[in-house]
Amino acid sequence: MGAILVRRLGSAVPIMLIVSLITFGMIHLIPGDPAIAIAGLSATAEQIANIRHDLGLDQPVLTQLWRWYANLAQGDLGRSLLLGQPVTHVMLLRLPVTLALSAYALAMTLAIGLTSGIVAALRQNTWIDQAMMVFAMLGISLPNFYLGLLMIILFAVDLGWLPTGGYVALANDPLGWLATSTMPAISLALLLAGLLARITRSTMLEVLRQDYIRTARAKGLSNARVVLKHALANALIPITTVVGIIVSLLISGSVVTETLFSIPGIGQLLTQAVLNRDYPMVQGGLLITTALLVLVNILVDVCYALLDPRVRYDGV
Amino acid sequence: MRRLMMTVLTGVGLAATMAPLAAYAAPFKCPATGGDLVFGQEANINTLDQMTSSTISTRNIAMNIYEALMTRDENNHPILDLAASMTESPDHLTYTFKLRPNIHFHNGKAMTSADVVASFDRYNKVGNQRSTLDNVKSWDAPDPMTFVLHMKVAQPTFIEALSSFSVPIVIIPAEDRDVPAQQLTHPVGTGPFQLVESVPGSFVKLKRYDGYQPNTSFENRTGFGGYKVACLDTVTFRIVTEPGARVAGLKTGELQGVEDLPTKSLPELKKDTNVTILPLNNWWIQIANPNTSFPPTDNPLVRKAIQAALDMDEIMDAASDGNYKLNVGFQYPNQPDYTDAGKETYNLHNADLAKKYLAEAGYKGEPVILLTNKDYPPMYNSALVMQQQLQAVGINAQMKVVDWPTSVQMMLNTTEGWNFHFTGWGTQPALGALATMQFMVQPNATYKPKGGVDDPEVLAAWRGMNDLPTAEGRQASYAKMQQLVLDKVYAIPFGSFTKVQGVRSNVGGFVPFRIPRFANVWMTH
Repeated sequence: MGAILVRRLGSAVPIMLIVSLITFGMIHLIPGDPAIAIAGLSATAEQIANIRHDLGLDQPVLTQLWRWYANLAQGDLGRSLLLGQPVTHVMLLRLPVTLALSAYALAMTLAIGLTSGIVAALRQNTWIDQAMMVFAMLGISLPNFYLGLLMIILFAVDLGWLPTGGYVALANDPLGWLATSTMPAISLALLLAGLLARITRSTMLEVLRQDYIRTARAKGLSNARVVLKHALANALIPITTVVGIIVSLLISGSVVTETLFSIPGIGQLLTQAVLNRDYPMVQGGLLITTALLVLVNILVDVCYALLDPRVRYDGV
Repeated sequence: MRRLMMTVLTGVGLAATMAPLAAYAAPFKCPATGGDLVFGQEANINTLDQMTSSTISTRNIAMNIYEALMTRDENNHPILDLAASMTESPDHLTYTFKLRPNIHFHNGKAMTSADVVASFDRYNKVGNQRSTLDNVKSWDAPDPMTFVLHMKVAQPTFIEALSSFSVPIVIIPAEDRDVPAQQLTHPVGTGPFQLVESVPGSFVKLKRYDGYQPNTSFENRTGFGGYKVACLDTVTFRIVTEPGARVAGLKTGELQGVEDLPTKSLPELKKDTNVTILPLNNWWIQIANPNTSFPPTDNPLVRKAIQAALDMDEIMDAASDGNYKLNVGFQYPNQPDYTDAGKETYNLHNADLAKKYLAEAGYKGEPVILLTNKDYPPMYNSALVMQQQLQAVGINAQMKVVDWPTSVQMMLNTTEGWNFHFTGWGTQPALGALATMQFMVQPNATYKPKGGVDDPEVLAAWRGMNDLPTAEGRQASYAKMQQLVLDKVYAIPFGSFTKVQGVRSNVGGFVPFRIPRFANVWMTH
């Protein structure tokens, strides 16, 4: 296990370097610069030129690249051009928001997706199976922007149960956090649960047809024991892969959901940074996000090793 | 030195002392105090460093925190704010400001002329519109309550520029003098509200500044100045970029005020007795700027043909979702500088005339590229309708759709590959003719004059607007400049937008202005 961890962590370093170089190149290649965003709509050419000069954007790109790596070597991700704050500080403010919402949405996704996938597999070709899969398809197909607006109208405007938007930090007020995060989490979870339900169903169906399941049933084991201990345990590897992807999607942020519900997560932050060409924010933010995604992948690998001994032996 | 007392400066550049008359009526008193007013703001804010930002979203919040020596009143006239008086020397080369006494910053420190000097120093170094101070030779503080500006040459329009709220020279504590551009993240001002917390992308919370000293030269708030009182305990600007969510928040009462209500929501909101709709006319001018250095719009007759073909009603209807007014030129009818000079060129929608100009120009179907973006739907929609109208008269109009920063960079940096750039002018027309017409001369000329050299007739009119000694002379120059710009089709203004704001019916004193002002606003419970 230790060897797997060391190897995975070692491979993360070149990945991060490559990502940082690609990010720098791409954000500087696209036209437009942050001075235009800072200057506002009816700015004059002179105002824009002043801002470019003040922020050092009139320096050659290679000089900017050198400065970026020199600062990075000292652990400094730079300062957001638009927010005027260190990138690390901004990311540390936004990450807990995204992580808390992601955890909430993930819990819902797992509860809805796994349950409906397993039930659909056990009741294959019945109306329950059909209903579960229609529900899953709806979750995948409905744009979460539209779903979010419908929920706002129903739960906030008509019923008055939940606020229309805004965000309360979990640490400040857990109940307030629950109120402001429930609709965003549902809108994210319904989309992802649909995906998870379909994968769970197909994997379970495949496992349930295996000889060892027939053997287990022939031995007279209870249905619950067959499903939970023998079938689900063996279906977990592909499911874990999908869960890893789901976690990655959640961590990288959902721009649409965050925008609709005014949630200050990293999805909204990085999208704004790209749209406004906030170079340090894009470069530093994506580097941190990449590190998190690499970490998630390592955790998925560890899960594989825990779930399947063959992975442990192969990995050493 | 001649002394003249006046309540407002109706003409600028007078050799005079400017000091408001003492107020005789009772000053404003809050009908109710307390509460947290949550305001749904449509755009994210990047910074609260007001000196280095010209965005509306920053101004919305920062102008409740900061104040300047001078500002503009409700009718856009220059007025004194942190200054108790301003004296202009007879040779127009020295402006002496006496500061209002007992003004304290939000950190408790008393404001002196040393802070004013430091503020001008910082603005001159990193201020977004530091060209305002190009003609200022120096500034100094002969005593703690006096600040003096020394000009290089007389500039009749200097007070107009100094009082501009586009990127105002707000007064900050001297210790913030050397803070780099964009990095004043903990703003300390003298205004009626002070910052509590700013979470970019989410909200900004302000609270009443208990040490605030209202300007007793006035009886009530006016424009960005006047007698200001914070009746509310706190104001929370919540960033709600999705229009549907703003409407929902206003209907539920979660938001007590919002800006930019979508037109389609208005009929329903008007029926809601808990909501008051507040239209803010003349919010901005929708405009297309030609590239006169790139064919075929380098040909004045082609530009005349395009101008003749346009139906402004159709364009503005699509651009504004029906919330607009037709408007000739670059000022609004309620503004003192307004002129309809050039009206004979506006909203012609005359296909025959357009075709006649095209024939005279020898137009052979060269593409006319409309450079626009989808970040701002009004710009995209106006370009789309203009394309249809141009095609209808035989012009090969093509759209080039990029994002906003790209379109601006293309417009600024190249004279190739585009013929019209679509934009909107918001703050500048509100500031007056001078602020608007700077877009027609270098270094800011949006019509991309050939070789980067100004049209001499336009430049002469611009100089008249700036340098003539009388207000009448400068106004005549503005009329001349507008006429020239429209005759030569150096800009095509389509019309003006109405921005619709809304508040809950328990909110009092909220009057739409260039920013949502929260001084003298109260809530009943």
